[in-house]
Amino acid sequence: MKFLREKLDNIKPDFEKGGKFEKFHYLFEAVDTILYVPKEVTGSKGVQVKDANDLKRLMMTVVIALVPALLFGMYNVGYQHYAATGVTDASFGDMFIYGAIQVLPIVLVAYAVGGMVEGTFSVLRKHPLAEGFLVTGMLVPLCIPASIPLWQVAVAMIFAVVLGVEVFGGVGTNVLNVALTARAFLYFAYPTDISGNVWTSGIEGANLVEGFTGATPLAIANATPAGESVVATLEASSYGGINFGFMDMFLGFIPGSIGETSTLAILLGAILLIATGVASWRIMVGVFGGAYLTGLLLNALAVNAYMGMPAHYHLVIGGLAFGAVFMATDPVTAAHTTVGKWVYGILIGVLTVIIRVFNPAYPEGIMLAILLMNVFAPLIDHYVVESNKKMRLKRATV
Amino acid sequence: MLELVNLGIKSIFIENMVFAYFLGMCSYLAVSKKVDTAMGLGLAVTFVLTITVPVNWLLQEYVLREGALSWLLGAQAAEIDLTFLQAIMFIAVIASMVQLVEMIIEKVSPALYGSLGIFLPLIAVNCAILGSSMFMVQREMGLGESAVYGFSSGIGWLLAIIAIAAIRERLKYSDVPDAMKGLGITMVITGLMGMAFMSFMGIAL
Repeated sequence: MKFLREKLDNIKPDFEKGGKFEKFHYLFEAVDTILYVPKEVTGSKGVQVKDANDLKRLMMTVVIALVPALLFGMYNVGYQHYAATGVTDASFGDMFIYGAIQVLPIVLVAYAVGGMVEGTFSVLRKHPLAEGFLVTGMLVPLCIPASIPLWQVAVAMIFAVVLGVEVFGGVGTNVLNVALTARAFLYFAYPTDISGNVWTSGIEGANLVEGFTGATPLAIANATPAGESVVATLEASSYGGINFGFMDMFLGFIPGSIGETSTLAILLGAILLIATGVASWRIMVGVFGGAYLTGLLLNALAVNAYMGMPAHYHLVIGGLAFGAVFMATDPVTAAHTTVGKWVYGILIGVLTVIIRVFNPAYPEGIMLAILLMNVFAPLIDHYVVESNKKMRLKRATV
Repeated sequence: MLELVNLGIKSIFIENMVFAYFLGMCSYLAVSKKVDTAMGLGLAVTFVLTITVPVNWLLQEYVLREGALSWLLGAQAAEIDLTFLQAIMFIAVIASMVQLVEMIIEKVSPALYGSLGIFLPLIAVNCAILGSSMFMVQREMGLGESAVYGFSSGIGWLLAIIAIAAIRERLKYSDVPDAMKGLGITMVITGLMGMAFMSFMGIAL
């Protein structure tokens, strides 16, 4: 690998101030710092940083935490495909390879488009190439169905990166979570491609088997007729040998967006994020707790079947776990203060369940609940800071 | 009682004045640079709304609508229809209420009075306020309903303006392109906020 370092050092002067590729300085820097740890160190005088943790490593940690969900997502896309088409003797390898063929192009498109837009902006606006798109490019494919057309992924990435981030000046300045902006854009612009019977890929014409509905557990739970229990309806509505029991939904063998189905794989990622201190455990606990308590409250009031769905089902069904672990904890758009994080997390959980249960227009509530709380996060912080100031002033004058 | 609560929730979140109807945008965009000022204006607008919508309801019911004057003039007034005076009467009520608020704020909090500047008297032509009165007539509300509606529309507007004010305070740390600075970026944020508020659309109360 030494020749690579030498090569980089050789061409480096071209990209410095006054070199012939001066304009592309930040692109060069991005490549250089992704490949090698920067050499710059603080002198013996001045502030010393004890850890080499920087934005790049932070972002890479999130990407690594997403790997279990991604791998399981690939497997599950294949699993759903073979279950829906009625093939019972497909091996693990078949399923995984089929899923990979479906999922990897989406990831590649998201990365390529996101990278190009970021690169263009970093050259034009002369700011360092931000690493945010490493995470965004992974989050976006995981929160959309595998059957999405690739051009839509590209359009959504452009929209989210330009209007969600770059317009504010790059990573760290955005108001709404970028990946969710992309998903919300798709959701409102091309609703037929992201809701309804799109969750299982590769179902066309002759492949369609009788009895296949393609509805996600959320849709089934939402449509449960009055007087019947959601749990029973879920367990009764199986296809291709797939049941919607609690364990199935926890492990993730259900139709849904690529990365959101397996609560277990997401929790593996959550452990890594919490252990490395990248994401706030307060927000995660807040979201899960808020959703669970709201579920319990609705159980107590239960006037229709959906309200009577056991509260713990809310935690494994749909994208709540994925949103809570990877989206709500986005350090930029979440509340920044400790108290604020609790308020922010709990409100997301509460709103998610309320939107799910009471809003017939949206079977899933986590996306819009997080976006809404992103909007209010600065306000929550403002009041937490103000009340802190007041408390300290009081102490000071005593 | 439950209907009034539902109406309140509906007009705060689902039919938010700013994000669902895009009413009251001018002061929303202009006075949202600081949370405290925005809070002051939001409270003023809420106060004005809470008073004017029911007062306008009384006006509409007993003076303006067709045959409204029959309580005063008897059966011969059944054909008198003063609806064409609606807008001007509503505005007159709103303007006098704003005058009152202006005097109160000047007396109580001169600092807020200074920072609100021209936008305080301009509440009189805030379309969210006239809009609420018009909606009240259009939707055939009762007196109680119109009071709740006025108050909760105001709260919805207040939420919107303090939310964007907090976001704009945080934007001080960002690097917005020159061409987008100020109103441009505020419009973009408002659009994104509107997208987030879509979460409530479709809830039937």
